Amino acid sequence: MSKITFAIGGVHPDDAKLSRGCAIEVLPLPQTLYVSMAQHLGAPAKPIVAVGDKVKTGQVIAEPGGFISAFVHSPASGTVKSIGPRKDLAGNNVMHVEIAVEGDEWVEGVDLSDTLVTEIPEDRAAILDKIKACGVVGLGGATFPTHVKLNPAPGSKAECLILNGAECEPYLTSDFRIMLERTKEIVVGAAIMQKVLGGCRTVIGIEENKPEAIAAMKKAVGELPYDIEVLPLKKKYPQGGEKQLIQAVMHREVGSGGLPISVGAVVQNVATSLAVYEAVQKNKPLITNTLTITGNCLPVEKQHNYLFRIGMPLSYIAEYAGGVPEGAAKLISGGPMMGRAIANLDAATVKGSSSILYLSEESTKRGQESFCIRCGRCADACPMGLEPFLLNRLYKAGDVAALEANAAQDCIECGCCLYSCPAYIPLLDNVRQAKGMALGAIRARAAAAKAAAEAAKAAADKNNKN
Amino acid sequence: MAYIVSPNPHIHAAVSTKKLMLDVIIALCPAAIVSFLFYGLSEIAIMAFSIASCVVLEWAITKYLLKKPSTTGDLSAIVTGMLLAMNLPPTCPLWVVFIGAVVAIAVAKMTFGGIGQNIFNPAITGRVFLLVSFPTFMTDWTVPAGFISNVDAFSGATLLGQVPILGALEADKLVNLQTLFRNIGGSAGEISALALLAGWVYLLVRKVIKPWITLSIFATVAVVAGIFHLADPAQFTGPLFNLLTGGMILGACFMATDYVTSPMSTWGGVVYGVGIGFIVMMIRYFGSYPEGMSFAILFMNMAVPLINMKFHQRKFGRK
Repeated sequence: MSKITFAIGGVHPDDAKLSRGCAIEVLPLPQTLYVSMAQHLGAPAKPIVAVGDKVKTGQVIAEPGGFISAFVHSPASGTVKSIGPRKDLAGNNVMHVEIAVEGDEWVEGVDLSDTLVTEIPEDRAAILDKIKACGVVGLGGATFPTHVKLNPAPGSKAECLILNGAECEPYLTSDFRIMLERTKEIVVGAAIMQKVLGGCRTVIGIEENKPEAIAAMKKAVGELPYDIEVLPLKKKYPQGGEKQLIQAVMHREVGSGGLPISVGAVVQNVATSLAVYEAVQKNKPLITNTLTITGNCLPVEKQHNYLFRIGMPLSYIAEYAGGVPEGAAKLISGGPMMGRAIANLDAATVKGSSSILYLSEESTKRGQESFCIRCGRCADACPMGLEPFLLNRLYKAGDVAALEANAAQDCIECGCCLYSCPAYIPLLDNVRQAKGMALGAIRARAAAAKAAAEAAKAAADKNNKN
Repeated sequence: MAYIVSPNPHIHAAVSTKKLMLDVIIALCPAAIVSFLFYGLSEIAIMAFSIASCVVLEWAITKYLLKKPSTTGDLSAIVTGMLLAMNLPPTCPLWVVFIGAVVAIAVAKMTFGGIGQNIFNPAITGRVFLLVSFPTFMTDWTVPAGFISNVDAFSGATLLGQVPILGALEADKLVNLQTLFRNIGGSAGEISALALLAGWVYLLVRKVIKPWITLSIFATVAVVAGIFHLADPAQFTGPLFNLLTGGMILGACFMATDYVTSPMSTWGGVVYGVGIGFIVMMIRYFGSYPEGMSFAILFMNMAVPLINMKFHQRKFGRK
């Protein structure tokens, strides 16, 4: 039993890894793909193709729209049919490039073989360029552009690279399957990032409910010529939360509003490591990822782990797997704790898609809200040490200053509070709003301070000139 | 078909107020059953009447006065009814029980807005009201006929009540290991320390409550009684006597740990427990009542908002 875990809060939902035995299958290409321009954190990408253009698999179809943004590549070969708004899974309009699929003819220079390439390029800048050119983003949920994260600002130094193989969300098994099936590629990917970061300590953290993955990783690490540790972690949600994982591995706490690098940490998901491997060693852009079809109203024989191409509509994948099961009351993209409810099943998959999760009404229906009985379970569960019952009250009172003083802005939206509440009070719904209010106040103050500093500087300059 | 669309989390620990209250009811059962065995039908009548009064009062108040959906389904009124009955002598007339229920539910609980809103523990408020209003009924420790014969049963004072009569030295001698199984005289719920502790352990195992409040009360009582007893054993009873007599265990395990009227944080709970332990010993040693557990808990109930203000969870990334 591993004792290694984060120190504050956490919950223990049934991990329900029903699809753990399903090997990854490759999904066939549909007739049409819809490639979103906003599948990463930051500015949306700008399309550089025109309607009617012929594109090949892996060809760049959109450029980064800002510093924090990413390239987007065509997931198949075919013709650009349209460029325009299309609804994402929440039902919001997002710019998509529609591609009529004609085949799977790849661009030049991509190594499509299975041969493991273990020799890592020497040039750090060249590696980063490749990661950027291949559109790699963090696949653990936030889809933050990886080349930005691997290039810490001057003055900050990475002391530990943590590979996140916790997969602490119940049901999801895509990370588990790639750790079993693409083990060595993930380790090489970690070694590449280790090199980029200047050779820091590198740890692969895996929750101990995945002993096969831990064994496979340990074996691969032993067989490959890198200095990488495999660290079994206690099964506790949200073990895979960035701040929680850093604390579990490094015993350091990222301060409020701080970035992991402020304590010398860089966290990357195992799927991101695989994408880095494919980008750097195989020149292969990020157009595929692994997705789990699972749920408690889906028989195990109908559950799958699929290798999908970005742009495949979720409905296409659901149909391919046998359709939405009888008894599914809620469809979720992601895990049951932090995933997003799917309002539009026709939405296209994106780089960070990780699942289609079907939950029965019984398991997902919220109970009738009743009075807070001050049991303190929400505060015990909160991995950030917040007091959701208090934030809920302050939110209702609209007391922004008190919300900030009680650290509403530190909420990581993991859902432990509402998960634990015996009175079914919509704690996270309200704390999320409260977090927005507190962050708004903090940002407004920062903006005002900046404006005042600039005004003072302008006045000083003016005086100097006189 | 339309599917549910709502924010995360999409699953729940399947814990509810009702389930938590049911666990408290189960935890109170061993002590209740022991009281039935020793005190017989009259105690069963008090328990049934107390529960029925609390539930009906809460239902009637929500329906006719507040005109809101009934909250009796959360079972908290049953818990209050059980605790009230266990805090009364086995000879208590039913009309006195009813007045206790009115004070507990109507005054202490519903006046403040019902479950979760009250400042004072309802059952203790009811008991204390009866204690100061009907002292004769509340201190009549005649032992009624039970299902188990009471060889050494006698009417008179409780062990705590004997202190002024016998003196601390003699009173101390009355407490031995047997007291753990069966107390002599006292409120219905106070007979068996062992049955109460079994219920408390059940609540801990089920993770309904945490042990810190109860343990800090016991530790404080042991320390305070230890110091006074060492200083003057002729005047002050010892730690074991004080831990095993009166409402100590019932209060520390089931009344002081009431969610609503105790602090939310672990350290706040410890402060609260230390306060109760200290006050109860001061009342027992220097007060005009032989027993002070109810007053100590009520007094510290008042301090809970202040304790909650001062003691918070440790926040991540903020030292």
